[in-house]
Amino acid sequence: MAVQDVLAPGAGDPPAPGPAAGARGVWRRLRTRPSAVVAGAVLAALLLAALAAPLLTAVSGQDPYTYHDELVNSASGGAPHGAFGGISGTHWLGVEPGTGRDLFARLVYGARVSLLVAAGALLLQVLIGVSVGLAAALGNRWADQVLSRITDVMVALPMLVLAIALTTVVPEDFPRPLLLILVMGALNWGGTSRLVRAQTLTLRRLDFVAAARLGGSGPLRVVRREMLPSLAAPVITHAAILLPSNIVLEASLSFLGIGVKPPTPAWGQMLSTATTWFRADPMYVLLPSGLLFVTVLAFTVLGDAVRTALDPREASRLRVGTRKEKTRD
Amino acid sequence: MREPRPFAQRAAVAAVSLVLLGGVAACSGPQDGGASSGGGDGKAAKGGKLTVLNSEAQSDFDPARLYTSGGGNIPSLVFRTLTTRNRAAGAAGTKVVPDLATGLGTPSKNATVWTYTLKKGLKFEDGSAITSADIKYGVERSFAAELSGGAPYLRDWLIGGDTYQGPYKSGKGKKTLDSIETPDDRTIVFKLKKPVGDFPYLATQTQFAPVPRDKDTGTTYEKHPISSGPYEVVKNTNDGERLQLKRNTHWSQKVDDQRKAYPDTIDVRSGLDPAVINQRLSTSSGDDTAAITTDTNLGPAELAQIGQDKALKSRVGIGHFGYTDYLAFNPKVKPFDRPGVRRAISYAIGRSSVINAVGGSSLAEPATTFLPNQKAFGYTPYDHFPAGGNGNPAKAKEELRKAGYPDGLTVTLTHSTAEGEMGPKVAAAVQQSLAKAGITVKLKGLETNAYNEKRWDTDDTPGFFLSRWGADWPAGYPFLAPIFDGRQIVKDGANFNHAQLDDPAVNKEIDEISGLTDLDAAAERWGALDKKIGERALTVPLFHPVYQRLVGKNIQHVVISDWTGVLDISQVAVK
Amino acid sequence: MTERFTGLRFAAKRLVGAVTVLLVLSVVLYALFYLVPGDPAQLACGERCNPAQVAQVRGQLGLDEPAYAQYLHFLQGVFAGRDYSTGTSLQHCAAPCLGLSHQNDQQVTALIVAGLPATTSLAIGALVVWLALGVGTGLLSALRRGGVTERVLTVLTLAGTGTPVFILGLLLLMAVCAYLRWLPFPSYVPLSQDPEQWAWNMLLPWLTLGLFESAKYARLTRSATLEVLAEDHIRTFRAYGVSERALVTRHALRGALPPVIALSALDLGQVMGGAMLTEQLFGLPGLGRLLVDSVRSVDLPVVVGVVLVIGTAVVIANAVADVLYALADRRVVLS
Repeated sequence: MAVQDVLAPGAGDPPAPGPAAGARGVWRRLRTRPSAVVAGAVLAALLLAALAAPLLTAVSGQDPYTYHDELVNSASGGAPHGAFGGISGTHWLGVEPGTGRDLFARLVYGARVSLLVAAGALLLQVLIGVSVGLAAALGNRWADQVLSRITDVMVALPMLVLAIALTTVVPEDFPRPLLLILVMGALNWGGTSRLVRAQTLTLRRLDFVAAARLGGSGPLRVVRREMLPSLAAPVITHAAILLPSNIVLEASLSFLGIGVKPPTPAWGQMLSTATTWFRADPMYVLLPSGLLFVTVLAFTVLGDAVRTALDPREASRLRVGTRKEKTRD
Repeated sequence: MREPRPFAQRAAVAAVSLVLLGGVAACSGPQDGGASSGGGDGKAAKGGKLTVLNSEAQSDFDPARLYTSGGGNIPSLVFRTLTTRNRAAGAAGTKVVPDLATGLGTPSKNATVWTYTLKKGLKFEDGSAITSADIKYGVERSFAAELSGGAPYLRDWLIGGDTYQGPYKSGKGKKTLDSIETPDDRTIVFKLKKPVGDFPYLATQTQFAPVPRDKDTGTTYEKHPISSGPYEVVKNTNDGERLQLKRNTHWSQKVDDQRKAYPDTIDVRSGLDPAVINQRLSTSSGDDTAAITTDTNLGPAELAQIGQDKALKSRVGIGHFGYTDYLAFNPKVKPFDRPGVRRAISYAIGRSSVINAVGGSSLAEPATTFLPNQKAFGYTPYDHFPAGGNGNPAKAKEELRKAGYPDGLTVTLTHSTAEGEMGPKVAAAVQQSLAKAGITVKLKGLETNAYNEKRWDTDDTPGFFLSRWGADWPAGYPFLAPIFDGRQIVKDGANFNHAQLDDPAVNKEIDEISGLTDLDAAAERWGALDKKIGERALTVPLFHPVYQRLVGKNIQHVVISDWTGVLDISQVAVK
Repeated sequence: MTERFTGLRFAAKRLVGAVTVLLVLSVVLYALFYLVPGDPAQLACGERCNPAQVAQVRGQLGLDEPAYAQYLHFLQGVFAGRDYSTGTSLQHCAAPCLGLSHQNDQQVTALIVAGLPATTSLAIGALVVWLALGVGTGLLSALRRGGVTERVLTVLTLAGTGTPVFILGLLLLMAVCAYLRWLPFPSYVPLSQDPEQWAWNMLLPWLTLGLFESAKYARLTRSATLEVLAEDHIRTFRAYGVSERALVTRHALRGALPPVIALSALDLGQVMGGAMLTEQLFGLPGLGRLLVDSVRSVDLPVVVGVVLVIGTAVVIANAVADVLYALADRRVVLS
């Protein structure tokens, strides 16, 4: 076991032998945690807003693209007229300096990009990570060596740089959100793969897996019936950490100007033009950064809660301080 | 001319708009200037330390490599040239004046031979005399592949310039350029392929700075170039990221009537974020009280902020530099082959939105002419397709109908994804205003490098895109010829004649005017030519940028000429 | 097999693995940047260069050779060194020579060495901040577990994990330098030149990166401490009436340190590779900035050189972390 595996969230302590905790149990435990409920509610609202973006903007009578020259003061750098960045009955959260585009519309449309890209990339990361991790753990020595080295390369790569390089190589007609998903998915699966490999190696030695093997189950069947269910808990836990970090990564890429292409709105991209307006129009900075912050925070809180719910031993340990089974490998 | 920035480094490039906050704070483009007495004039005092806070490093501090307008700002502290720009505020600053030479040069009758005589008593920083051979050598080494980067005019104009490969061993062929003669230590003669009236302007560029042959160290010369100006390099850290200069004791005010050189030392620090530069200048504490910037402009947000602060406002200088941002057409691509379509777009454009997208009316002035709105360029006002501030959709629709598009049409506008003058906000503003005239614009954004490659590629130029052009020197030739001269269509390389206009009448007029040595007469004809070409609607001029720059509290004697639009560092004094 | 031999074999295996990783990395980068738009020769020459001159520059930079030959020359430079012409003389670039920058003809190794002081300054200072803040917060929340303090600290650390470093840095910059004016706007001063100025100017970058990283450490410390607190001997101590505070600070901390130290080694490796966003935000002339600039100008030798150095730093950090962890925790077996 390498040190990263120990440090990876949820790793080191293989889940309790036997079938994973039932979904219903997890749900029940989640419901009893107020922080999880609040985070869940925030995310649900956000998701809803993102999905219903066209509907919401229809209600406000705005769209994210139309310029409103009359709403900004051209002589003083294009600052919005009126208090708080031009908040009014028609522009609920004010307008963008310089262009007068409606901020509410841009924010809800921006949410679509952020969430879609983060979730899509997560799916890809988990898919690649689990496959490579399983193959490395269950394959022969050579397969393990090669796959583990590849994983090392993936972890060692400076992600931002490669993402930058990749986004410039791909033809410009390629849909940007998809490209972002592919790039982030293809570059950031190293952690998942290491986690899965370590877990699988441990699992292989556990009684119920060995029993299944002795019972004549084929390798694929063992993987499907015995290992994947047991891997679910640590992988979901890990995914809960990956998702918010994907959101931050997408924002960073947009911030650097290589995210989705304008005029399509995205939070990071709004931030990158907003930063200098900190003093002249604070609302313009606070809205996207606040939203980004709340989203990531909600995901992290919820992820934390899911982790605890999936691993009831931890919860009880923290509460009572009982002795914990320590497995060695 | 170059496009992105006058004090361009070798690569005017940017694969990705990685500059954090770039474009944000301030367009760190050419920037600024303006004739203003920013920090208050008063009596300028000698001495003190001047700090320069810049975003772009003064990379390649070698006179052969620098691409400057009028010899550059910081470079002109170290490199004197045959001629230089007049160090005066406003329009007076667009004049070319003698520097190392006694005059602007004596042209032969047809302006193909230019002869210069050097002033007496000129010295390098080591005390040795500057001779005409040093200037010849300086020009020659700029032809070496190792030291590429300068403007193309020498190669285009000097006899044999197209094949000469510099004085180094690595270059093929002859090691000296015979079209430059040095009959004696104080005389230098340039022989040109064709009549060139603008030669005195060209002689302001750093390639005309003297370089002593025995001190030349090739690509490492930039670490410590031998100074002919008022300052010498003490230390050049990290390829110009930090440049420390001190007084050159062998320079004398007696033989240099242009540079004032008040401060004793100058410390140039670059690689700073534009937002940080402007914040430091507005806070103006410690060393920053005596600080200026030569490459960072105030951005829209900062203007909105400064608008509320009178004390700060008094420290802002306003400048103009000959620049035009425009919509370019490639008539080889349909439907832009139809003049009616191009005229319709010219009528439909709403310049107010475009100007707001780059920071509003204090950072840009609407443009209806291709030439910048300065007399030196021969500016002749015209507005062939009046659109007002918000466009004239009715007139545009009429043109479309006549051109065979009664139901409007759909076109693609190519732009850069980097924020800025060719960026997405400007593109979206164009999109909005054309929509009113029934023209649906699809946007196609490219990363900076890809965008430039595409724009400059003769075979693959998009039909409709954002472009910009700035002045190598304040005259019509470098502004119009690269864009409209049919013989300057570059096949494999960077092409700027985007419309690929190759009209014998235009070419002939360009030749005739460029041979004139009477610069005022030439300016007038450039203006007339611009007006004439404008009728074809090959471009839609959008705006001329205005530059606003902040200086520290203790900065005096701020001179911003219309040549550079930047405050002249050789004139600045520290209180 | 003896214990010692196992250790040696382990080290040898790691070394071979590391070198392989780096080689693969360099091939991937070469291949990738070969496809990136932007002709390096045109970029190096300047946009107004005529085609003939671009061709001449291309030859001088060796870009007219096929891609594999360029890569082999690069490898040759790394292992044997190369000679370059400055025009007037020959310049030797000793092994490990990473080539010359296309943009400014500086040796890549020299550029990297020039970037090291700033990057090291940032990394070490930030390390101190994140250790002090992270471990302190983690311990405090372990001590006050279940109480309001823990809840507040948990939310704060979660918030820390969720704030992109560029937002954090910007907010700090604006708050501390623009509004409160407690600190001047940072501009890098080398340690060798003026230690006091160096520290003042680095304070904000340290805080930014340190705060950003500390959240992770707080969580790690907390969970590791709680794990130790759950062990038998602690329960015994507790039964004997040792105070909770003494338990946490004397005993639990010792158990929490190994993972913290190991993670620190890893993160230090990453940060040494250039905290790109932080360096860019504060204008620190470090490796991260060098990398970003060279990517912008398609300056392949510099990109490859810096990434290799970063890769090496990460690989070394991994190995160091493994060893530190193995020393501190019997659970990890060198295998």
